Order: sequence, then structure tokens, then C-alpha cells
Amino acid sequence: MQIRHENILGKIVTWAILLIMLLFTLTPIIFMISSSMMTSKQILRMPFNWIPEKFNWINFSKAIKGLDNNYIFLRNILNSLIVSTTVAITTVLLASLTGYGLAKFKFRGRDAVFMMIMGTMMIPFETIMIPLYMVVTMLHIQNSYVGLILPFLVSAFGIFQMRQYLTTFPTEFLDAARVDGMGEFGIYAKIVLPNCKPVIATLSILAFRSQWDNLLWPLLVSQSAKMKTIPQYISAFAEEKATDEGAMMAAALLASLPMFILFMSLTKYFIGGSSVYESRKG
Amino acid sequence: MRIKKNRGIEKKQARWGFLFVMPAMLFFSLFNFYPILNAFHTSFYNRKVLSRAKPSFVGLDNYVRLFDVTRAANPLSFYNSLKATIVFTLGTFIPLLVLSLILAVLISNLSSNRAKKFLQISYYTPAVLSSVVAASIWMIIFDPRGLGNQWLNALMRTPGVDRKWLVDPVMEQVSTMVIYFWKYIGYFVILFITGLASIPPTIYEAATIDGANKSQTFWRITLPLLKPTVVLVSVMAMLQCLKTFSTQYMLYTNGAPRAPINVITFNIYITGIQDQYLSRASAMSVVLFILMMLLTLLQFKTTKSENVDY
Repeated sequence: MQIRHENILGKIVTWAILLIMLLFTLTPIIFMISSSMMTSKQILRMPFNWIPEKFNWINFSKAIKGLDNNYIFLRNILNSLIVSTTVAITTVLLASLTGYGLAKFKFRGRDAVFMMIMGTMMIPFETIMIPLYMVVTMLHIQNSYVGLILPFLVSAFGIFQMRQYLTTFPTEFLDAARVDGMGEFGIYAKIVLPNCKPVIATLSILAFRSQWDNLLWPLLVSQSAKMKTIPQYISAFAEEKATDEGAMMAAALLASLPMFILFMSLTKYFIGGSSVYESRKG
Repeated sequence: MRIKKNRGIEKKQARWGFLFVMPAMLFFSLFNFYPILNAFHTSFYNRKVLSRAKPSFVGLDNYVRLFDVTRAANPLSFYNSLKATIVFTLGTFIPLLVLSLILAVLISNLSSNRAKKFLQISYYTPAVLSSVVAASIWMIIFDPRGLGNQWLNALMRTPGVDRKWLVDPVMEQVSTMVIYFWKYIGYFVILFITGLASIPPTIYEAATIDGANKSQTFWRITLPLLKPTVVLVSVMAMLQCLKTFSTQYMLYTNGAPRAPINVITFNIYITGIQDQYLSRASAMSVVLFILMMLLTLLQFKTTKSENVDY
């Protein structure tokens, strides 16, 4: 009897904690969604009414039109998509190439190369952004996609993941292909790459996300409105439209849609990809 | 003859391997090693703007200035940046660590797989939003008329009190911690769930047969076996917190006072980019780099010695 009571009490406490946490994590998101359809007055009313009385379209048109009515939002979200996608692609290509080289080839200095690449994990971006900014100004690539993308072409973490994954890849397949007369690069492109799909999925999501969320670097290199990215847009919009909370939330919601869609369709890779090393870089 | 041929193949293989790692090595040399050396170098000069004039060597002056005790009274000094960073890091990573561990244990003990999955995904959802979006949502919640005051007052039965979330220095720090905690809690919960899943269930079975109750199992078995994950996650969370920038930037550009949230990264940005004191900013970068490197080395050392064999 005693144990039974303890069990029920334990269950109640467990669920109470889990549900409070659920409320804490989800209400701000629901708040964003419902207030994106409200006027400022409705948003800051006490008590807050969670269901909007009427759908307030004007918030979304304000968010898209932007501060100067020039629809720069669309350009900025396109910039973010271009930068994030490119970084995802280059990360996958370079990480797999390097990881393959490190996992399946023997050459002098290989371990040194691997250690050096791992060592860069200890260099946080925040500590090298000033020199990088100087390099970019010297090369005159501010306000360009090249300037936005260049410092993020590949990550040490990506190389590490690829190497770990490919170490277990059966070497016999590679040798068989060699006997068949396939070139080394052909083996990489036609045999190795197609066999890395799970790592590719995780890595590209990781790279895409880190650029989608990147505010600091674009702040340094993109000063012209046309070359700004979506975090810059949101931050400028929030600054200028501080009293128009509805429009601010509409902009925030629109800017989050691509990631939400990606998350819902690829939940497995998002959560599975939360590997131990993820937050070391980015 | 055969040996010669084999050696030829080996040589060819070595060349290909070298070729495959070349692009990445070039990249890291240009965009990681050169910049960090450059940061060290610049920090010993008095480079101000991006001018052609040759900056002069000033030795350790920039570092002396950073740690000058007489400047500590200045609310925007590096001293206060360091303090703001440490307050933010401790105030964020300790709750993150403790709560994510508790939540992970609770979720792992649930019997329904569907509930497990639902909770993990829900807790993780804030991590999908970008930092600027997270900050914008919470800035409205922390408005004097917003939900933050409404809820806290309802909870503490103090109607009509304004907590000054984004005005009062201490509350402003708390606000940045809440935003950060909210964004990352799900991520750390999942890390711990992964760690918990790697503990073989046979150990728990043995403990139950030996008559251990739930709290004994947790303190004597789960926690010691989870120690590597705990160490790893805590250092990682600390490193993550030391790099915080977007939240502070958003709050500041929306009119919140700068001093309480003037964390090192934010100070580097203002000093180096806005005020163009490149050398001073580089000295700050070097301090941050050393701080983070020490933590990383500590992490490597502890994880290596604390590895548990089942």
C-alpha cells in the first residue's frame, strides 16, 4: 500500500514539473503566433486574450513592406536562404572530402592534419571576427555573398563527424572499385558520398541553421540594405517599430517559417543531430 | 618487383589523400589560424581605424588598460564586461544544467514512448527559432504591460507591480538569462536523454533486485554513470554562454541600458566595429580566447579521466 501511494504522488509531481516546463517552452511561441494577428492595443491588454478577435492582415503587409515600403524583407530572406544553403552545401562537400581523406588514406602528416583541424574547434568565431573583418575590408568583399559565406565554408565538427562515420566504411568496396578502374575522385563522388546520407542530413541542417541564426557576422560585413540577412532585418525592424508589436511578431513569425517547416519535416535529424559536439562552433 | 609496385600504389594513394585534405587545410589556415595569430599581433599595436598609417607597437598597453583597476568604476569598462559575462554564464548554465538533468531523468522514466517524443519535440521547439526572434518575443512579454508582469504578479499575488524587466540592471540580466534558458533548455534535455539511454538497463535491473529505491538508484547509479555527460554538457553550456551576443544586442538596440548586459562579445563588437579601436578589441578577443581555451582543455582532461566502462 505504501509503495502505491508513493508511486501516485511521484507520478503527479513528475507530470506537474513536465507540464509547467511545457507551458514555459510553448507559450511564447503561441504568443508570437496569436499576437502576429493583433493590434498593439490587444497585445498589451490585461489580461491577454489568446485568441485574436479578428485576423489583422496589416501586420503581415507591414512586415513584408518593411520600414521604407521597399519590400526589402523579401530580398533579406532570400539572402539568408542563399547564404545558409550555400554554406550547407560547401560544408557537406568539403567535410566529406576531408573526412574521407583522413579516414581512408595513409599519408605523412595525416594525424597532424587531423589534430590541427580539431584544434580549430578551440578558436571561437567571436575571437577572430575582428581580423576576419579586416581581411574582408582589404579584399573589398563587404556587402557581397562571398564576404558573408567565406568564413563558414566548412566546420571542424563536420570533418570530425564525416571522418568518424567513414572510418567504419568497408575498404573492400573502395578497392573493388579501384580494380574496376574507377578513378579516386569518381570513387569519392559515386561511392563514398551517396553512402553518407545520414551524416549529410545532420550536417547540412546544422550548417543551415547556424547561418540562418547568424547576426554577428552579417552586422560586420553587410551594411547595405540589399545585402542584409533576415536576423539583421528583424533586429532593425524591432528597433524601429518598437511600439508596433503586432507587426514585429508578424515579421518574427514569417522569418521563422522556413525553419519551422524544415523542423517539422526533418524532426528526426534535428533531434538526432544534437550531438555532443554541436555547439562547439557556431 | 612486386614490392616496388606496391610502394608505387601507396605513394599514389598518399598523394590522393593529401589532395583530399588540401582544400580544408587551406581554408583553416586562412580563416582560422591566420586570424587568431593576427588578433594576437594586433593586440600589441595601437591600431585604430582601417587606415594606411602604420600602427605603432605598444607592447602590453592594451592588456594593461583592460585590467586597469582605476577604470573599474566606469560602468562600460572591460572589468564590468567580465563581470557581466560571468554573471550571465553562471546564472544561465547552472539552471540549464540542473533543470535539463532533472527533466531528462523524468522524461526517460516515462512509460509512454509517445509522451517521451512529444515532450522532447516541444521542449526543443524554441531552439528552432533564431536568437533575434526569441529576443523579440520576450521583449514584448517583458513590456511593463506585458505577460511577464501579469504572470509574475498573478503568481506572487502582487497586482499592478512593474518588475522593470528591461530597465532595472539586475532584472535586465535576469531577462537575458530567461531568454537564453528558454532557447536552449530543450537542446540540453535531449543531450542528457541521449546520455541516459547509453546506460545499460541491466544495471538498473540488478539494483532493483538488490532492493534499491528510486532515489538511491538515481544518486548511486544514474548520476555517477552519467558523470562524463554531465561534465561535457556543463563545459559546453559554459562555452556557449560565454559566446552570447544576439540577445544582448537586441535588448540594447531596443533601448535597454548597456552596462549590465555589456558581455565580452558585445564589448568587442562595440569597441572594434562601432568605435573602430581594433587593437583594444583584439586584446579583448585574446582574453576571451584564452578563457575559452582553458575551459576546453579542462573539458578534454576531465572527460578523458572520467570515462566509465560498463
